[in-house]
Amino acid sequence: MALIPEYRDDVPRVERFNWLARFSHWGHTVTFLLCLFTGLVLFLDGVNWLAAIFGGYRGAGLVHRVSAVGMTLVIGIGMVFGFKGIIEWIKDLLRFGMNDIIFVMKFPLEFLGFPVKIPPQTRFNGGEKGNSMVTPTCVFLLVLSGYIMWFPAIFPVGLVRVSYWTHDIAMIGATCMVCMHAYLGSFHPGSGESFWGMWKGTVRADWAQHHHAVWYEETYGDKKAE
Amino acid sequence: MANLANLYDVSKCTACRGCQVACKNWNQLPAVIEPFKGNYQTHEDTNGDTFTIIKFFESEDPVDGLKWDFIKRNCMHCLDPECMKVCPKQAYTKTSWGATLHDPDKCIGCQYCAAACPFEIPKYRKREDVITKCTMCADRVEAGMQPACAATCPAGALTFGDRDELIQVAEARAKFLRANGFPRATIYGKLELGGLNNLYVLTDTPDKFGLPVNPKASGNVTFWQDWVQPYFGWLIPLMLTASATSFVTSRLIASKNGEHGEHGEGGHE
Ligand code: HEM
Ligand code: HEM
Ligand code: SF4
Ligand code: SF4
Ligand code: SF4
Repeated sequence: MALIPEYRDDVPRVERFNWLARFSHWGHTVTFLLCLFTGLVLFLDGVNWLAAIFGGYRGAGLVHRVSAVGMTLVIGIGMVFGFKGIIEWIKDLLRFGMNDIIFVMKFPLEFLGFPVKIPPQTRFNGGEKGNSMVTPTCVFLLVLSGYIMWFPAIFPVGLVRVSYWTHDIAMIGATCMVCMHAYLGSFHPGSGESFWGMWKGTVRADWAQHHHAVWYEETYGDKKAE
Repeated sequence: MANLANLYDVSKCTACRGCQVACKNWNQLPAVIEPFKGNYQTHEDTNGDTFTIIKFFESEDPVDGLKWDFIKRNCMHCLDPECMKVCPKQAYTKTSWGATLHDPDKCIGCQYCAAACPFEIPKYRKREDVITKCTMCADRVEAGMQPACAATCPAGALTFGDRDELIQVAEARAKFLRANGFPRATIYGKLELGGLNNLYVLTDTPDKFGLPVNPKASGNVTFWQDWVQPYFGWLIPLMLTASATSFVTSRLIASKNGEHGEHGEGGHE
């Protein structure tokens, strides 16, 4: 079985993520991972080989700060220019319903590859809704605590002390999610086309109809609002 | 080797600040000029180029009237130093005789130690992006001399020597002071935070001198160092393993069920 399904443009395709969403997603993916590996240098205490990749501990600290600013900018740009999209995203998250609960309950089996029947999903399925809430929350906490740790002199010392464990717990939360999410968004057979939605912007119409039936019908199908 | 300590006796100090000058001189620290703040204190606090200062406290007491207290502040050389626990680069070491030393060549300027120290002693030196603090003049002590501040003190307020002996000296002095007009006189550094190598004889309670009455390691820092760092991180490899497991099992199950090439076709109603 191939790692990712072949990208086919000989079949009908529909748009899933616009240019800005994809720029923002891959932008914060790269900067997040750079922050992660440069941060782990300190979290793991004494992993000199990891530090060496970034030119030593000071180099890692510099890369951490440059990527942090890069990530802040990418997310900021995505939020300002993609404001409408963010609102739609939040609206979809608020549609958390029975179909999402069933999705989440059956998900462990689906995750391991067992065939399960899952009710129709909106634009983001139950798992993606969870990811959409947990990961951005952790990233928000990382950014907040990160800047406090960067400039400890201008904040009360109690807040700086809280930031230390907050930064680490948020890092662990976000990274755990990303460990699953990166796999689900690429090599997980059950996810199929979704990688192309984020990479090229479109997914096969039949896949969209199958995996996100509610969204497909409302956006491209019979229930499309005029 | 027994612990060596620096005993500072508030009741003998005249606030001449000779120790500040001697410290600057021995440690080759450039002058830091701060604006006049309306009292005798030279600097807001110790800073990246100032390892020790005399702090001044003026207060009105209903019984004693106007009070003018001062105290020498610098690193306490804690027996169990918090700064050393949080440093991700192991830049701190304890000498066999009790000084807490900081190695600027190892330091990366993360300033964790500055926030962790219960006495807020380590200070950031921006121009070099490192932390600095009092060294207990380890270079002098190991060459058989006294710390520069103790050697220079004209009033005999600073005594450097064996910690156990100095505690007895301090206790005797506090007892004398209590009997002679300072009923609240006390010593500081014997038991605080598990013991300090910087001992004080105080003429009043520690809070009158800006010292924490019961210094404690911050619970936030302890939680971060003793729980989050060693244990919570294991969740990450656990999640990676889950994904790796799924990578294998989902492909095995798919080939058993005879699904080839088609991704994600099953599963939805
Ligand atoms: C705006 C975003 C961020 C800022 C401003 C920021 C800032 C910082 C700062 C100043 C430090 C202290 C260490 C040093 O001086 O190099 C630090 C440590 C760290 N950061 Fe970040 N960071 C950000 C985002 C992230 C992200 C996205 C991750 C990982 C997913 C991360 C993971 C870590 C880790 C693991 C540490 C080490 C903590 C420890 O020693 O326990 N950071 N960060
Ligand atoms: C290298 C790894 C990554 C891959 C392959 C990947 C792939 C994807 C894909 C394919 C989607 C679209 C899913 C859909 O069809 O709805 C997506 C969405 C998303 N990604 Fe990523 N991603 C990666 C890393 C990250 C990172 C590091 C973050 C954040 C820290 C992140 C946050 C999100 C969020 C919040 C969504 C929207 C919610 C969702 O669909 O789960 N991704 N990603
Ligand atoms: S006073 Fe602060 S800097 Fe000095 S040894 Fe104690 S914890 Fe470390
Ligand atoms: S600032 Fe320097 S000495 Fe302090 S914790 Fe960080 S690396 Fe260690
Ligand atoms: S012991 Fe040395 S470094 Fe510390 S305050 Fe005295 S003179 Fe300065």
